[in-house]
Amino acid sequence: MKRKFDWDSVVRSKIFWAVVAEVVILLVSEILKPDFFRIEYKPETGMLYGVLIDILNRSAEITIIAMGMTLVIALGGTDLSVGALVAVSGAMALKFLRWDVTQYPTPGDYTIMPFYLVILAPLAVCTLMGAFNGLLIAKLGMQPIIATLILMVAGRGIAQITTNGKQFTTMYTPFQVIGQGHLLALPMPIIITAVVVLCVALFTRKTSFGMFVESVGVNPSASRVSGLQSDKIILIAFMITGFLSGISGLIYSSRISSCDSNNAGINNEMNAILAVVIGGTSMSGGKFSLAGTVIGSLIIQTIVTLVYFFGVVSEAIMAFEAMIIAVVIVLQSEPVRKAFASRRRRGAAATGGAVRA
Amino acid sequence: MRDVVLDMKGISIQFPGVKALDNVDFSLKRGEVHALLGENGAGKSTLIKCLTGVHHMDSGTITLDGEEIKPSSPQAAIGMGISTVFQEVNLCPNLTVAENIFIGRQPMKHRQINWKAINQRSAELMEHMGTSIDVTKPLSYYSIAIQQMVSIARAVDIQAKVLILDEPTSSLDEHEVRRLFKVVRDLKARGLGIIFITHFLDQVFEISDQITVLRNGKLVGKYDAAQITKLELVTYMIGKDMNQIFNLKRAEQKPGAPVKLEAEHIGIPGKVEDISLAVKQGELMGFAGLLGSGRTETAEMLFGVTRPLHGTIKMDGKALSLKTPLNAINQKMAFCPEDRKRDGVIGDLSVRENICLAVQAKRGFLKPMPPREQQELADKYIRLLSIATPDAEKKVGELSGGNQQKVIVARWMATNPDVLILDEPTRGIDVGAKAEIQRLMLEMCENGMAVIFISSELDEIIRCSNRIIVMRDGAKAAELDGENCRQSDILAIIANESSEVSA
Repeated sequence: MKRKFDWDSVVRSKIFWAVVAEVVILLVSEILKPDFFRIEYKPETGMLYGVLIDILNRSAEITIIAMGMTLVIALGGTDLSVGALVAVSGAMALKFLRWDVTQYPTPGDYTIMPFYLVILAPLAVCTLMGAFNGLLIAKLGMQPIIATLILMVAGRGIAQITTNGKQFTTMYTPFQVIGQGHLLALPMPIIITAVVVLCVALFTRKTSFGMFVESVGVNPSASRVSGLQSDKIILIAFMITGFLSGISGLIYSSRISSCDSNNAGINNEMNAILAVVIGGTSMSGGKFSLAGTVIGSLIIQTIVTLVYFFGVVSEAIMAFEAMIIAVVIVLQSEPVRKAFASRRRRGAAATGGAVRA
Repeated sequence: MRDVVLDMKGISIQFPGVKALDNVDFSLKRGEVHALLGENGAGKSTLIKCLTGVHHMDSGTITLDGEEIKPSSPQAAIGMGISTVFQEVNLCPNLTVAENIFIGRQPMKHRQINWKAINQRSAELMEHMGTSIDVTKPLSYYSIAIQQMVSIARAVDIQAKVLILDEPTSSLDEHEVRRLFKVVRDLKARGLGIIFITHFLDQVFEISDQITVLRNGKLVGKYDAAQITKLELVTYMIGKDMNQIFNLKRAEQKPGAPVKLEAEHIGIPGKVEDISLAVKQGELMGFAGLLGSGRTETAEMLFGVTRPLHGTIKMDGKALSLKTPLNAINQKMAFCPEDRKRDGVIGDLSVRENICLAVQAKRGFLKPMPPREQQELADKYIRLLSIATPDAEKKVGELSGGNQQKVIVARWMATNPDVLILDEPTRGIDVGAKAEIQRLMLEMCENGMAVIFISSELDEIIRCSNRIIVMRDGAKAAELDGENCRQSDILAIIANESSEVSA
């Protein structure tokens, strides 16, 4: 399946421009702030420190969710409920750790329920919620944006009910490891993200799931006639997204050692969609790129970091972020990519002619 | 001498990897129907796309009415008076017929859209084309044939100097073709230059004045339609002798072959009623009939695309419950659908992925075919069906229509079925590819496959079929022996309301 390297199609691809954008943003940061690229190893904690590590660490939640979002968008859908599922996951985990704050008033290094339940129950519930989304869409034929809107709204409510509207805090060490620990000198969220990305990549590309997703996303009718069970594929994609939102929720709540049903995962759905789109997957479905999504997520986090790093006044942060993202999206737009590709081609043709002459 | 309305000179265009057009000349006179012929990928569509501003040529000039033009977009081309009716219906199925005809140029009254005028004018236009339909109904309500008429009505109503008909008849039946040709003659008399692209050679001779033949992106020649024979023309088109193609023989029916697929009284009231049929192993059963006579609906019931409301389908004498196409695939059936764009190609996926899709669907996604096996399968069918593609990784959507069709046929042949249903597999593809597909079909019959072959072209049905079922108005009108059947017999049954159903 080897194809000869085709520079033209590389220049035309969206992921190329995403990488270019990320590199440019990083270079600009390095110029403005020379320590930007520095990574330090501190033996006393056994961890690597640096802005780049920080970007990777902080992008974990969005990258993980965006893996699932990539599949959903490739199917021609979208999932608005992911942010709410992050809140549900955190609330459930904390509920299982503390159970009832009136009974166990002080947070400490303990858990009421067995630790495996603290992890598995939120993941199971989020997967089920994903399945709920998937069933509404695959079996009842609802529009994904409407179907997932239900849990986007209801999810936070469920999270509130789980903890009786209270914010729980925990000091339970094994739980804190998820968001604050480290492994191989790297923050734990980076390791978890790497594992998730690897698993999703293997699942989609080493089985035919990825091809089926793309096929249904491009042409549902032809896919059905060709024997694909699109409802099954849609269901699985939404379950994966739910499950991954659950993981993301565990990381977030572990980071802050508490649950916050109102703010956990806020805007995650929009950032995840943005990461996918910057990564080159079309909102109308079809071919997807997991690598592109990872880059997209990194771009978003790099911009956020950059903004804080240079002390942009807090009122202007959102506008500043939006501006950079707008530039990235324009760079990736069809006309711009085409213009670059055809300029290259014209140049190549001219030199080719000269050689022949 | 009538004056030249359109003159294209020295047109060349380069696509990555291929020279799509190489120094092609084409000229069109006022009041002339000029056929543009060539095999799939010969460059017909590319030439048209140059003219309509979809592609930009690398060199050459286009002169319209004595003025040099450079159409930059389809919109610009339309503005210059070049209208096109494309091969695939390119309208909005969710809008009404009238809206489709006037979209983008709605007549206004008091700064509001004048709906009355739109509907009235549309009704007139459709009437003029011999089709009285309710123009306020959504386009998707009507058959592809009517949709095609609508797109012609739209193209004609735009004040055009040049009208391009790109395979306008490929979804029309005899009747509708007559109607269309009447319209074309009308337009011709009004002084329009008409470029006519088709694969139906009979139609070329019937309506064209001039014929230009392209092959592999190069101009072969320009001929006077009155002074060239069909055989010569085909020889020019494919560049080799055609006799082998017309010598195809139907598969020998082996006596005592068991019945493979059987349908008993299947139907969906209101669409198709009470169809019974039995296809034997190694038999090719032809399905003739007008568009909308229930041919496709019957095929879809047999393959589980739609569920019959009554009746049973049996394979090897055992009743089947076909809920989805996957069930049918698991029973070793295959179905190459009529509407290639909607039910066939997955445009963004590669040729390889498209070919492997049904095989993979059968295996389930957890048992992927190893990449090497996929590659071998794709290469095998690219070779076998001579699919014109640089390699197996090219997107199917970028291939020409005929090659897309071959990819779909390949997808189903790759599943190695016992029963193969082909719904208009040869529509819109060139003579060479058509013969290729017919040859394969007959070969598969020889090897014991049961084939159901649906086609609007009676001569190919008669040439290939062992038995022929004639459909009319959603019911089986007759079942004939392919051996002793003449075209006139079938036509009589299609036309004659009172003919008896023979055994």
